[in-house]
Amino acid sequence: MGHRITDFSIRHPKTVILMALIITALSLFRLNHVKVDTDPENMLDKNEWVRVFHNEVKQDFALSDMIVLGVVNEGDANGVFNPATLSKVYRITEGIKGIEGVVTQDIMALSTVDDIQQGGLGSVRFKYLMDGPVKTGDEALKIRDRAMANPLLYGTLVSEDGKALAIYIPIVEKKVANRVSKAVDALIAAEPKGEESYFVTGLPMAEDTFGIEMFHQMGISAPVAAMVIFLLMLFFFRKLILVIAPMGVAILTILITMGTLIATGNTVHIMSSMIPLFLMPIAVVNSVHIFSVFFDRYQIYKDREKTLKVVMKELFTPMLYTSLTTLVGFGSLMTAPIPPVQVFGGFVALGVFVAWLLTVTLIPAYIMLFLPESKLENFGAVIDEKSSKARSPLAELLIMSGSFTRRRATPILLVTAIVLGISIYGITLIRINDNPVKWFVKSHPIRIADTILNKHFGGTYEAYLIFEPPATPQTLHRELEPTIHFLDQEAQSTEPAMASIIATLKDRLAAREKGEAAAEKPNPINVLEGLSQDLDKTTADVPEDNVALWDEIDTLSAGLEDERTSLNTFKDPATLRYIAKLQKHLAADPVVGKTNGFTDIIKKVNMELLGGKTEELRIPDSPAMVAQASLLFQGSHNPDFIWHLVTPDYRRLNLWLQLKSGDNRDMESVVKDTEAYLKNNPPPVPLNHAWAGLTYLNVVWQDRMVRGMLMSLASSYVVVLLMMMFLFRSILWGILSMIPLTVTISFIYGASGLIGKDYDMVMAILSSMTLGMSIDFAIHYIERARELYNMTHSWPKVSEIMSMAPARAITRNAIVIAVGFLPLLLSSLTPYKSVGVLLATIMILSGVGTLLILPALIEKMQKHLFKRIKEDEETAVDIDPVSMTIRVESEER
Amino acid sequence: MKKTLIAAVLTVLFMVPATYSFALSVDQIVEKANIASYYGGDNGMAKVHMVITDRRGRTREREFTILRKDVKDGGDQLYYVYFHKPGDVRKLVFMVHKHVGKNDDRWLYLPALDLVKRIAASDKRTSFVGSNFLYEDVSGRSTKADTHTLKEETGDHWILDNIPRDPASVEFTHYLIWIDKKTYLVDKAEYYNAQGKVYRKMVAEEVKVIDGIPTVVKSRVEDLNSGGKTELTFSNIKYNIGIKDSIFTERYLRKPPRKFIRR
Repeated sequence: MGHRITDFSIRHPKTVILMALIITALSLFRLNHVKVDTDPENMLDKNEWVRVFHNEVKQDFALSDMIVLGVVNEGDANGVFNPATLSKVYRITEGIKGIEGVVTQDIMALSTVDDIQQGGLGSVRFKYLMDGPVKTGDEALKIRDRAMANPLLYGTLVSEDGKALAIYIPIVEKKVANRVSKAVDALIAAEPKGEESYFVTGLPMAEDTFGIEMFHQMGISAPVAAMVIFLLMLFFFRKLILVIAPMGVAILTILITMGTLIATGNTVHIMSSMIPLFLMPIAVVNSVHIFSVFFDRYQIYKDREKTLKVVMKELFTPMLYTSLTTLVGFGSLMTAPIPPVQVFGGFVALGVFVAWLLTVTLIPAYIMLFLPESKLENFGAVIDEKSSKARSPLAELLIMSGSFTRRRATPILLVTAIVLGISIYGITLIRINDNPVKWFVKSHPIRIADTILNKHFGGTYEAYLIFEPPATPQTLHRELEPTIHFLDQEAQSTEPAMASIIATLKDRLAAREKGEAAAEKPNPINVLEGLSQDLDKTTADVPEDNVALWDEIDTLSAGLEDERTSLNTFKDPATLRYIAKLQKHLAADPVVGKTNGFTDIIKKVNMELLGGKTEELRIPDSPAMVAQASLLFQGSHNPDFIWHLVTPDYRRLNLWLQLKSGDNRDMESVVKDTEAYLKNNPPPVPLNHAWAGLTYLNVVWQDRMVRGMLMSLASSYVVVLLMMMFLFRSILWGILSMIPLTVTISFIYGASGLIGKDYDMVMAILSSMTLGMSIDFAIHYIERARELYNMTHSWPKVSEIMSMAPARAITRNAIVIAVGFLPLLLSSLTPYKSVGVLLATIMILSGVGTLLILPALIEKMQKHLFKRIKEDEETAVDIDPVSMTIRVESEER
Repeated sequence: MKKTLIAAVLTVLFMVPATYSFALSVDQIVEKANIASYYGGDNGMAKVHMVITDRRGRTREREFTILRKDVKDGGDQLYYVYFHKPGDVRKLVFMVHKHVGKNDDRWLYLPALDLVKRIAASDKRTSFVGSNFLYEDVSGRSTKADTHTLKEETGDHWILDNIPRDPASVEFTHYLIWIDKKTYLVDKAEYYNAQGKVYRKMVAEEVKVIDGIPTVVKSRVEDLNSGGKTELTFSNIKYNIGIKDSIFTERYLRKPPRKFIRR
């Protein structure tokens, strides 16, 4: 099969190249349909419970994703609280109201929120905290003091040190975050410069901006990596015309893969944007092997076709297997429970196949078409491996290391074991963590803003803790029982007209309960609201002048209203105090900067109603007072603010947590802390709770990702091991081939654990990359070594030969890829940096692992490894270590 | 014959409004509209059913009785608002002494604490009990607060453009009102934001003549920003029922007048 493909390509080079170009062109026909998706939320399936819940919570409480604009002046004793700065802030806020995509009515700024304060003569006053440009210094300081005295605003709108202020800009969707922040920047730029500085941050902004910069990076990183790889290959092979071919294969592979991805309607996500970066080395590797061997052999035959046939025969199986293992490594990602990772894995796997196909067809065709013998005259190694003069320093080093591995096998294996041991220890130290804001380098404006604002304020990261009573048909009935009981009692009324009204109501109640029990979330409030309408209908015909009956009806109505109030879970003082206590507990958590709850509104209104004394900053004693405080708050400029924190039926409560850090492990620690507290402090009434908010979502998908990656890594490890056993028809060789990659993976993750590099999205993805790439060298090495042993029947001889051409191919490959990806270190996005560092490490380690550990192991185990072959001593052939092409030569004979 | 009839109809349609507009200045129209909308009778009462609907279609209901007495037509007024529902705010009372040209006096009676509290309102553009109506919508915006121009005249309406004299005190840049030529009631109002877009709408949905006075019995406000709306339905409307000044004093906050308020 192998040579048939090669023969075809050699015979019909034009057809092959034309076909490749046509396929590429075809795959690109829908390129203009590209859909970009930079939302990490999409790491979870749309129907994933936590995501559905998150969106439901956002809907229920009318919550928007928020950008935070912070204004800081650290130089002045009064910070930003001077007329000039505040007037600017006022104008900027007015400007923000006009930006398309901003949820105007929910902007939180000094000039959009109300202050509840003591007016003259013991009255309460609702007033915009800042109702216009500020004229005097006293006015500015008064605004600061008022804001700091309001628990809802302190730490949120005004920094704890009283020097900075913030504006929370809700946006209609994450997609507009970058555009809105640009518009905010323009508003700031339009103001005269002052001592204060402006910072914009927030998760939605980080996520949206990342998407935009990601494309810039793709436009820079991938071509730069390609350029460096190109130059390195030029350095190794010295022939421009030769080096163009692997680059062509890489570019066509990337175009076909990405074209297909887009054409099939998949979105270009943070993950899939990295596909070109991953395919580049994969696509180049095989071509480098071909050229490396071609380079070393050409001078022997001085015939393109013959050399090609020899090279392809040698390399076909190892190339097929290295491609298959890479394909398995990435393909296994399709089992991960994260849609973008599945797409990533699937399309890299496709790309691997495309790269393989293009390599075995295009490269021979290219050589036949564009490399006439005349051009190859001085091409290739001058075959005189024995003369050390002609050897390059690299070749010299490799030959030395070849004999070194045999002589020092024991120390090498000992060092390997030690490294492995330390690595495994390092792996136990691994810290799983991610934070989209940290996808930007430390010097990025978003990172700077993030640091400064989280130092001054309660926190720019949001999480929502939702409480609600359980809702089942059983709880519905239990909650309706007092009402039923109340009606039963009222039914004892002697008035027959009244008795009939109550009988009707009881029937209606039963019917409504039955209807409500069928709802997804049975809610007794709905039943009682309906019942109130039923009462109105039933009594519509009662004449206005029947005062006696109306008195009874009024009593009944009032009683039913009281029953309804008692079903408003979050009007109950005991329940609210429980929540307030939890808030107090959370305030002690170092990650939690601040919590905002319905409780805080009620406490503040209560205090101001009762004369502004701080001891009245508490939850009042009756549900009615809670309701009345709530109603009073609603008589302000932004009455709907309250519905961000509690639903209108007072049966769902949102505790808004402001976190100082968006690190997943910090969010996790808050969750853990909260769960422990809730477990040890059960609520006064049954309450369920659940988390929502972007910061929390990130934790969930990260968890999925880590588990998913671990599973796919484990499964592909097993699959690759089985493939190796099959390829080498030997369990022992199969296990042996896995050793360099095992050491590489252990070392990489061990080292990251030891140096404290967080195990994040990129680290997780690269595990499959490592598997796919580092097995390649082992396959090439073992395949060649075994073939050579079949000829020479002597391990020392094999080892010597292996340290020449095959070692050079491996080393060239490792260097080309490793160095090629170093430019990624200049990226302003950390995931790209990580890819650069890790790819370089993977290539070098697996190269070194293959060239040192494998021969050392074979040296020690040669008796077991080569046992069977040794029995057929008579087939031994004396091989020329220089050409190693005994079979071809014998064919010629 | 037919042609003459059409001509006659056209003449009626076009001529009559034209004469009206020539007869009345814009300020006169505004004054008449103000009286018609907020000063029907010398005093009056109504039971109000309020339904607040949010963007998601969730509703909150309130029921209250309003008593009103005019100190002077087009001038100061007294309001007394007694809550029936929801049950947990039953007996809560808002009392407003509306002043033209200065801040209103407001009182609040909180039954849960048996507490009377003065509310010092800094402006009249705060929400009325959490609804999309503002205090100013309920008690009327001073006709002096805006400059009025006749923007358009249709068969049934004068369309007036109103620009605030003190733009900093309000959140709109201007608003249009549709004044019914027959009743002088405001049938519709549209508020514009700084971007020139309508963000708030008020509509008189139903008008009935009660005791000879054209009265809005159903009205609606929509907040186009938040997607919320509030609908008011008035029933048991009565005019000139002899409500005394004394009812609009602190004394009556704790003890609603049984004559007008049953429960």
